[in-house]
Amino acid sequence: MKSVLEWQIATVQAICQETHRVKTFTLALPDWSPHRAGQHYDIRLTAPDGYQAQRSYSIASEPERRGELDLTVERIENGEVSTYLHDVLIPGDQIEVRGPIGGYFVWEASMAGPLLLVAGGSGIVPLMVMIRHRRAARSTVPTRLLYSSRTAEDIIYAEEMDQLVATQPGLGIYHTLTRAQPHGWTGYARRIDVDMLREVATPLGSALRSYVCGPTSLVESVADQLTALGLPADRIRTERFGPTGGTL
Amino acid sequence: MDSQSTDQNADLMLDGNAVAGLLQEIFATEVTIAPVQCASCGQEGEVGTLLAFTQGPGVVLRCPACERIILRVVQTPQHIYLDARGAAFLCIPKPQ
Amino acid sequence: MPKGFISRGFQGRRVQSDDQSRIPPGQHETADFPVLSAGPTPRIVLEAWTFEINGLVKKPIHWTWDEFRKLKSQPYTVDIHCVTKWTKLGTQWEGVSVDTLLEYVELEPNAHFVTAFCDGGYTTNLPLEDITGGKAFIAYNYDGRPLPREHGGPARLVVPHLYFWKSAKWVRGFTFTEQDELGFWESLGYHRRGDPWKEQRYRGD
Repeated sequence: MKSVLEWQIATVQAICQETHRVKTFTLALPDWSPHRAGQHYDIRLTAPDGYQAQRSYSIASEPERRGELDLTVERIENGEVSTYLHDVLIPGDQIEVRGPIGGYFVWEASMAGPLLLVAGGSGIVPLMVMIRHRRAARSTVPTRLLYSSRTAEDIIYAEEMDQLVATQPGLGIYHTLTRAQPHGWTGYARRIDVDMLREVATPLGSALRSYVCGPTSLVESVADQLTALGLPADRIRTERFGPTGGTL
Repeated sequence: MDSQSTDQNADLMLDGNAVAGLLQEIFATEVTIAPVQCASCGQEGEVGTLLAFTQGPGVVLRCPACERIILRVVQTPQHIYLDARGAAFLCIPKPQ
Repeated sequence: MPKGFISRGFQGRRVQSDDQSRIPPGQHETADFPVLSAGPTPRIVLEAWTFEINGLVKKPIHWTWDEFRKLKSQPYTVDIHCVTKWTKLGTQWEGVSVDTLLEYVELEPNAHFVTAFCDGGYTTNLPLEDITGGKAFIAYNYDGRPLPREHGGPARLVVPHLYFWKSAKWVRGFTFTEQDELGFWESLGYHRRGDPWKEQRYRGD
């Protein structure tokens, strides 16, 4: 892994609408280097008068997809960078990026232990990469994802999740919808609490390691709940996202 | 996720992962996995677990146990100022 | 490093200002009120809150919240400028002028500077001239309502003619000093005075 981070100019290859508020941007980089699931890239925008804005977004593509980079970004009303990415950027445009960045909130298929992934909102992005990497590495490590969204329309990567559960051994994905549920919904319908975590996590056994990502309030309450369930602190890894849906 | 927090300041608090790029500029290596010990309370953990306040004139990283300051960073056009007095130590792995 | 790269069509979260003469150099107007902090919002209990003036004064003084609220107060409409480059025009506050507070103390002859201290440990330093003559106040209302906690409530210092890091949130008092004792950001590369019209952002500017 490179030690010295350099900014480089990436080119937008494709833009995919994931949900009404979320897009995935596929970027080609002049100097792509392999990343690890959970890492992120920094994006920097510069206006003609030199004004700059910078944000971090988790890498959405698994490391096995070499040579290009996906970033999944939620559009935040009045968000300075996300509105530019959503409303202005088109394939062919260029954007300054640097990365891959991170080391703590990272999972590799070579790491032992059953895996519990807990996501709120756009916190799903780094955890989905872990699942995509798990598939690409043909790992069968018992893995469960608990994913909290407001409504069914807000579930990012919904179809891919269904496919993965159907085809990947040892993978379970559980949804909770906190604001509204569609007719006939059989998933959870409330904010994540210790009972929900216990139900999802218990079959994984006590040697599990967990990754929690989402808004600060969710991350903190889930981390406390996992601790209450007896999970030692060194098996809980957290990444807080700001209200802008990425790290600020 | 419905975040009904009335304290925007709490919602804006992140962690060491959010400033990984800036810290890598300073230390020329990935440091979110680096153990750091709080000089105030002795708690030891990875830099990625520190509470991060990124929205002000500089970055402040605080101990998740006692909330005292561990690191402060200010970026000016030409320099980076680092105050690490809040860290008893920062243990950075050598590149192998 | 790619210098000079411009992002096509990017202007940022900036409002086109009608009155450029009120925007200091390098600043842009914003319609929001960004929340900036160095730490978690302190938990403050009004029954235990005091505003204290100490240091180089003949006799230290403090007011409880109830006493403080009985002091002469007035409305203020001021422009504010944050060193992170946003400017907000016409912000409305209500509070107590620092001049009013200083009527209750007698300063020592060598009390040239003040350090404002706050819940949460934040400090900022100012010369006496920058807080007197109507230039500074302790605000407890913003926009007609009690100052929200995330913006410094119950009370913050407001010094609109200097960069807003000097307008200390969760202020609890002043310590008068002989020397200029650099505060939280001033000791880490920011300018000791911070005049936005002279663009005094950083040490050495």
